[in-house]
Amino acid sequence: MNRPFPFPDTDAPLTRPFWEAAEREELAIPRCDACERFHWYPAERCRLCDGETLRWTPVSGRGTLFSWSVVERAWVKAFASHAPYAAGLVALAEDPAVRLVTRIVDCDPADLRMEMPVRAVFRPLAFDGVPGEIVAPLFAPATEPRSTE
Amino acid sequence: MSRRRTDWGQATPLDIQPDEVAIVGVGEGDHSKASGRTFTEISAQAVERALEDAGLAPDEVDGLCYSGGMGARFSAEDFHAHFGTKQEIFESPHGGGMAWAATAPVVAAEAFRSGRARNMVNVFAVSWATDRKKMTGGPGEFHAHEPHKKSFEVPFGWFPQPVYFATIARRHAFEYGTRPEQLGAIAVACRRHANMNPGAVMHEKPLSLEDYLARPMLVDPLRMEDCCLISDGGGAYVMTTPDRARDLRKPPVLVAGVGEGHSAAGTYWSQQGDFTATPQVFSAPAAFEMAGITPADVDLLTLYDPFTIVALMQIEDMGFCEKGAGGDFVSGNTLHFDGGVLPYNTHGGLLSHAYVLGIAHVVEVVRQLRGEGAAQVPGAEIGVYGGYTGANATTLVMRRGT
Repeated sequence: MNRPFPFPDTDAPLTRPFWEAAEREELAIPRCDACERFHWYPAERCRLCDGETLRWTPVSGRGTLFSWSVVERAWVKAFASHAPYAAGLVALAEDPAVRLVTRIVDCDPADLRMEMPVRAVFRPLAFDGVPGEIVAPLFAPATEPRSTE
Repeated sequence: MSRRRTDWGQATPLDIQPDEVAIVGVGEGDHSKASGRTFTEISAQAVERALEDAGLAPDEVDGLCYSGGMGARFSAEDFHAHFGTKQEIFESPHGGGMAWAATAPVVAAEAFRSGRARNMVNVFAVSWATDRKKMTGGPGEFHAHEPHKKSFEVPFGWFPQPVYFATIARRHAFEYGTRPEQLGAIAVACRRHANMNPGAVMHEKPLSLEDYLARPMLVDPLRMEDCCLISDGGGAYVMTTPDRARDLRKPPVLVAGVGEGHSAAGTYWSQQGDFTATPQVFSAPAAFEMAGITPADVDLLTLYDPFTIVALMQIEDMGFCEKGAGGDFVSGNTLHFDGGVLPYNTHGGLLSHAYVLGIAHVVEVVRQLRGEGAAQVPGAEIGVYGGYTGANATTLVMRRGT
């Protein structure tokens, strides 16, 4: 179903499998059958080798924090009650050239560090003024904070 | 510099020769916050002023370039409705603002060569301050509905543009040690120039580096002052051949070089191979080579500057300093019109003049090369505009003609 902003399109052939996998608490990324490289964003054919089959492949959900922004005050109404929040990019362990856009959770934004190990966690996302929710792959620090070690 | 990846994009060949096109008239629509005007009205005002500046009558215009993709189409029909004319006009949608404010001369060169036009106007205007409430995420509206962004970026709140560019700025700081006061130096230079320019939206509002650093984060690491305005306004410029330019009112400005570079990741900033670069890496060297100049020959630079970090990256990528050294380079008075090494956005830029998407940047270069700038760079002979969309960057080298 092509739901209203800011929900993803969970109906289109190129976007549905990602969100179906998230519903199963899996992170899946298209991988080319021919060159075996991951291919993000999804496409009809492999941009790297022109291979014809891109297969949605489960990955570990591990990666490193590539960079992020902290939205201190959300001027887009749908995110108003989320702020402050950290949105950014995670480089996948399987192929760091794949950068997933995500939300970083379970950590004070002030404690985030470049290249820190992170792992996927699956949480429902809901938005202000738009009914419904959706399970999304968010990321959290992969190791416990030093103070509790 | 040689260690940097260049496999993420390429230059686009352009069919234009040095000094084939002259810019002979410039004009702006009034720049403002929400004004209730339509972009058609603003476009008409800009074109009228540009023709007056050139000393050309409306019925002498036989070519029109506008933006095919940004919604601000000022067509031949609009032109005739405003001026009461009825001549045949060759139209091209490959003009307007942003990257196309630099490449409209390529359209004109082809039209002049083929005889389809003799006097061609490039025009762009927006009424986004007036229309903002109707737009999802303001100028982010395009991104809100783009299929992959809608499905893989927006739901996480990585939207709209200030969020993308704050993420890029943080990575740039990590890779190169860029500091907040260095981004601030760019915002301060733009504001100082806007304070001298009565046509700038921020004309009456000074900004010191101390003011900048004291301002709160909007999207950490960017402050409001790192982000462009949202404006109503626009501009236009008139092109003809250098031969015909001699008979017109003002001394011509010649198009000495044009370049265009493309990122393979398109407008998916998240996936760009070199995350902290712009396609100026590919565009600027092509334009400088065509013009037979080096960055050291440039007397003033205007850059499409939606965010301070976008200006900083372009300054590096165009070769005005080593990649990563942009922060040190822009510090102090480097970018100021009076004594800076690289006078920059001397009208105030998108940050402090008006967010009219680059068309006013070209107008400003032309004025500077004629000696008509509000913050005039003494003896400016070569000026450059750098356009940027994310997917593309373009470079327009202009020189003072005789």
